[in-house]
Amino acid sequence: MTELQTTRSSRAPSRDDAGATKRPRRGAAATEAALKAFHEESALGATYDMRLLARLWPFVKPYSVYLWLSIGLGVITAGLALARPYLMRFTIDEGALAKDSDKLFLGGLLYGGAIITEQLLNFVQVYTVQISGARSMADLRRDVFAFLHGRRLAFFDRQPVGRLVTRVTNDVDAILELFASGALNSVIDLLKLVGIVGVMLSLDWRLSLIGFAAAPLVALLVMLVRRKSREAFRAIRAKTAQMNANMNEQVSGMAVVQAFGRETAAAQEFDTINGAYRDANIASIKYEALQDAAIEMVASICLASIVVSLGYRPVSFGTVVAFNGYLLMFFEPISALAQRYTLLQNAMAGAERVFGLLDTDEVDAPVRARTSEYPPKDESAFVFEHVDFEYKKGVLALRDVSFAVRPGEKIAVVGPTGAGKTTLASLLLRLYDVTSGRVRVQGHDVATLDRTSLRRRFAVVPQDVFLFPGTIASNVAVGDAEPDRARIEEALRRVDAYDLFMRRPNGIDARVDERGENFSAGERQLIAFARALYRDAPIIVLDEATANIDSQTESRIQHALEELMKGRTALIIAHRLSTVKSADRILCFKRGRLVEQGTHEELLRAGGLYAKLHRLHFARSEDALSIPPPAP
Amino acid sequence: MRQKTSLHPSLLPTTLGGQLRRQAPSYAGGLVLLAAYQYAQYWFDTRLSRAIDAATHDDAALASRLGAMLIGVAVLSLGVRVLSRMAIFNAGRSAEYELRRALLHQLQRLGPAFYRRMPIGDIMSRATNDLAQVRMLLGFGLLNAMNTVFGLASALAVTLSISGKLTLAALATLPPLIIVMFLFARVMFTQQRANQEAIGAMSAAVQSSIAGVRVVRSFALEEEEARRFAVTNADYLTKSLALARIRGLMFPVMQTITAFGSVIVLWYGGRLMLADELSAGDFLAFFRALMRLTWPLIALGMLSSLIQRGRAAFIRLAEVFSAQPDIVDGPLPAPSQVRGKLSVRGLSFSYYPGAEVLRDVSFDVEPGSLVAIVGKTGAGKSTLAALLPRLQPTPKGHVFLDGQDVCDLPLSVVRNAIGYAQQSAFLFSTTVGRNVAFCLDERDSDDALHAVEHAAKSAQIADEIAFLPDGYDTIVGERGVQLSGGQKQRVALARAFLAEPRVLVLDDPLSAVDSRTERAILDVIERERERHSVLLITHRVAAAARCDTILVLDQGRIVERGTHDELILSGGLYAKFAEEQRVESELEALGSEPVTTEEVVTA
Repeated sequence: MTELQTTRSSRAPSRDDAGATKRPRRGAAATEAALKAFHEESALGATYDMRLLARLWPFVKPYSVYLWLSIGLGVITAGLALARPYLMRFTIDEGALAKDSDKLFLGGLLYGGAIITEQLLNFVQVYTVQISGARSMADLRRDVFAFLHGRRLAFFDRQPVGRLVTRVTNDVDAILELFASGALNSVIDLLKLVGIVGVMLSLDWRLSLIGFAAAPLVALLVMLVRRKSREAFRAIRAKTAQMNANMNEQVSGMAVVQAFGRETAAAQEFDTINGAYRDANIASIKYEALQDAAIEMVASICLASIVVSLGYRPVSFGTVVAFNGYLLMFFEPISALAQRYTLLQNAMAGAERVFGLLDTDEVDAPVRARTSEYPPKDESAFVFEHVDFEYKKGVLALRDVSFAVRPGEKIAVVGPTGAGKTTLASLLLRLYDVTSGRVRVQGHDVATLDRTSLRRRFAVVPQDVFLFPGTIASNVAVGDAEPDRARIEEALRRVDAYDLFMRRPNGIDARVDERGENFSAGERQLIAFARALYRDAPIIVLDEATANIDSQTESRIQHALEELMKGRTALIIAHRLSTVKSADRILCFKRGRLVEQGTHEELLRAGGLYAKLHRLHFARSEDALSIPPPAP
Repeated sequence: MRQKTSLHPSLLPTTLGGQLRRQAPSYAGGLVLLAAYQYAQYWFDTRLSRAIDAATHDDAALASRLGAMLIGVAVLSLGVRVLSRMAIFNAGRSAEYELRRALLHQLQRLGPAFYRRMPIGDIMSRATNDLAQVRMLLGFGLLNAMNTVFGLASALAVTLSISGKLTLAALATLPPLIIVMFLFARVMFTQQRANQEAIGAMSAAVQSSIAGVRVVRSFALEEEEARRFAVTNADYLTKSLALARIRGLMFPVMQTITAFGSVIVLWYGGRLMLADELSAGDFLAFFRALMRLTWPLIALGMLSSLIQRGRAAFIRLAEVFSAQPDIVDGPLPAPSQVRGKLSVRGLSFSYYPGAEVLRDVSFDVEPGSLVAIVGKTGAGKSTLAALLPRLQPTPKGHVFLDGQDVCDLPLSVVRNAIGYAQQSAFLFSTTVGRNVAFCLDERDSDDALHAVEHAAKSAQIADEIAFLPDGYDTIVGERGVQLSGGQKQRVALARAFLAEPRVLVLDDPLSAVDSRTERAILDVIERERERHSVLLITHRVAAAARCDTILVLDQGRIVERGTHDELILSGGLYAKFAEEQRVESELEALGSEPVTTEEVVTA
């Protein structure tokens, strides 16, 4: 926004404020701490919050049938898992040891059948929970995206694009991990744990006690290790973020590092971070290894104890085998819980950021009720009535601007930089709201129109043309779900650009790269003209380009401009003499005020601001065009 | 933490083999520990079998003795297992650390030719993703390779000692298991990549839609954008569910195959027990050994894709390691003193063959003099500026510092003598003070703080720094205080001042600074001209006018040279620039005049 930039220099403090430089500097250690906080800030934070889960629910609800199905199957698979050691016991005790080969066969069959059924259901269970997760998150993503396009333009002036992209992609994915990781299985795991205890007690309560005696030990161990490993995990996350940031900066700033010959110092700085990253990872290795190994050890000790007790109080061999199975199963969920906790934290942090975004207000162009009085009968194409506007509180960009434009009239807006010319166009389309006064388009106050129905009345050609990645054709027919190729070609022909683009491979289907980087400024301008023609709106708003355009495209643009304005109302922020000369009326702005209006001749005769502008700017720009290239 | 003797980064091995050799002691330790762990497992299973048999045959005393030993071995196994993981994973992490360190060192040696070829995003992906793949291979991959061998040996030792026939029957499921795992690993890798690409496409769609939000609003394209987004969103959904399917399928399929093994053991083993050919203890031991085999075999299936990915990743890293630096130290020793006379003789330069940016440029910058270079955008000014301190590959025999070719001198000498500040100032995301103190080794001493303040004053930024939330300790960066373009330029200028070079090359460093501040900075430069001569590249005639000599560059050639007055009189390109800028400043003045009441028309 040029209007904004001009106000910035006023912020510079005056020279006699030098006393302020005596502010005490904080120590090196404090600076280190602040820098650390700055770099690690986003890596931490966010705790579990029921409210966030409640807000997620409406998205999950349409797919909740999958969720319930998954939970139901989870209970069944847990039951089948519980049956496995029991069936083994049956096979051994009733079959092998009782010398009953039929029961041996039956037992083996049941055992194998149980596993296969369990695994089959297990797959369905895991997959259905993923379906509910992925679909609901796709909906959430769609809503966040739509939400962004419902915000007013001022919202985007403050938000870096990258951050908004992250909200739609990575943050939603973090929530999805909640489903993918099986974190929702925790409840089923708990159920399973109760089941195991029950079965073990019913099999042989005294033997169970040996197993349960170890449980507090395992719980204590896992808790200790879990706390340590959670801390280690956090440290890793923070160090990873820090290292990637530093590496990125080292590479981006390589030219500066090399220019100042600071390679060694920069390498040392990186080495500290790289080393800290390695150490944080190495620290977590022991905890991770310890967790699995400890559970294995306790299970082994329990088994050994059971075997010892077997010597004094015989139980069936099948029971021992079953206990071996149950013991291994018993400690599994405890270790899984630790890993899921960190994922849950991540998911909650993602949800917090996403819903934080969705909580912002700033709706784009909300429709206001019509004022009680009946709108005056109005034949104008559009009207400004005593419009004041400020981008920032207290800094007026437009002041008491009033003018009316008849249908079919061609208006040129001129004035020095910062006069408020571009702002006029923004208010006309209600990209921003007036501070006071009123803008009416075809008789309607813009505030009472739906934003789409308002903006469909305009075709806009901005100064700096933005092209979407796609093709020339898709950029001309932008916004049209079913592009009409004949009309695209006609639009390009009428702006005299068809042959120019047909020279490219693939013609009008030639690829447009990110931001249209593979097109010159003039070519982009021509595409924008064709876009405006294709749209066929009654009012044209055009911000003439000031950028250097090669003389070949320049003449095409001149022609295209005339073609575009034919039979339409036009508001042109003009930088060329030919444009102002051919306008029906010229509005002359200065510091946000309309100071003169009239035709080219009238204003020249008046000898005011326009006459000065003409002498300094327009006459020269015409010169620049008419000057032949210097002889070699 | 065991710290290996620190080598200079240029001496670190940058090949897989080299790193394997360098971390060999850790790997050897891990190997021994893994062997010991698997032996302990063998021991446990066979003794467990004996203990059970003793217990079931009324020998409680023997069972108790064996039980106590089993508990001892279980405790011992824990320690051995943890240590083995630590030894091998630590080696992988150390290798990653050293490779990353060597990578940065290599990146620092590489010049603009390399950075033109490889974008920052690409370099970053090699430094993070690819390096992580290599680390996976050197840590997780190696551990599993060793563990699989020992685990197989240990489990087979148990089962074969019990029954050869039963072992053979149980192993029937192994080949399909390995093949299935191998296939899964491959498919999963492809699916993961497809998934990554889908999320990339979606990000790009959001990115362009938000970057073009003005057009979207002006043309009321919200619905169309939502439709376009829906396409990429749906594609990502499909891909992520496909990945979920394959992931979700892996364990059930694997478990099902092993279930067949278990059933075989149950049936066949049960039959052997029935015939009293197999004791109860042996049965349990056999079963445990079989279960123990499952994980190493899964790992074996994954290993092949791990090796594949690790090697592909390493090849991408090797592309960086093997790149040849285009700007290197010259053969001459560092001179004891640098006066700072800079001479350019017949310098021509092109980035690509056939497109000359500079043609036959010659001039001198005497110590204590101020020289300006003026020209239109694309005239070759910035290229010239970057060639002087050899930030671009300066051709030999055209640029001389005190009469010596800069290409023959050590790079550090050239770059310390010829300072450089550019228009698009890159600041590091640390504090303002540390950015200014960039060239100092000790950035927090009182002397340093003093020097920083002095440099900031010279660059006319000290007063504004005082107004930042934390003064010199304010952190510059995306989320911190946003410095304006002009402020950034002046911080970068202060950084260049502080380095005290003999020649200061300023590449349009004041383009975003208002003219009053620019005048004050030029005052300082003039006052301190004895400390460093200045080559000022500018598009502002007002700034150039204050220099002793002005060179006008047009299409890579010096077309005019002289003082301001001489060039104005001669009426050439420079005079034309001067006239244009006079008109521009008049226009600017016109725009900032207050509006008088009689000027305003009544509507």
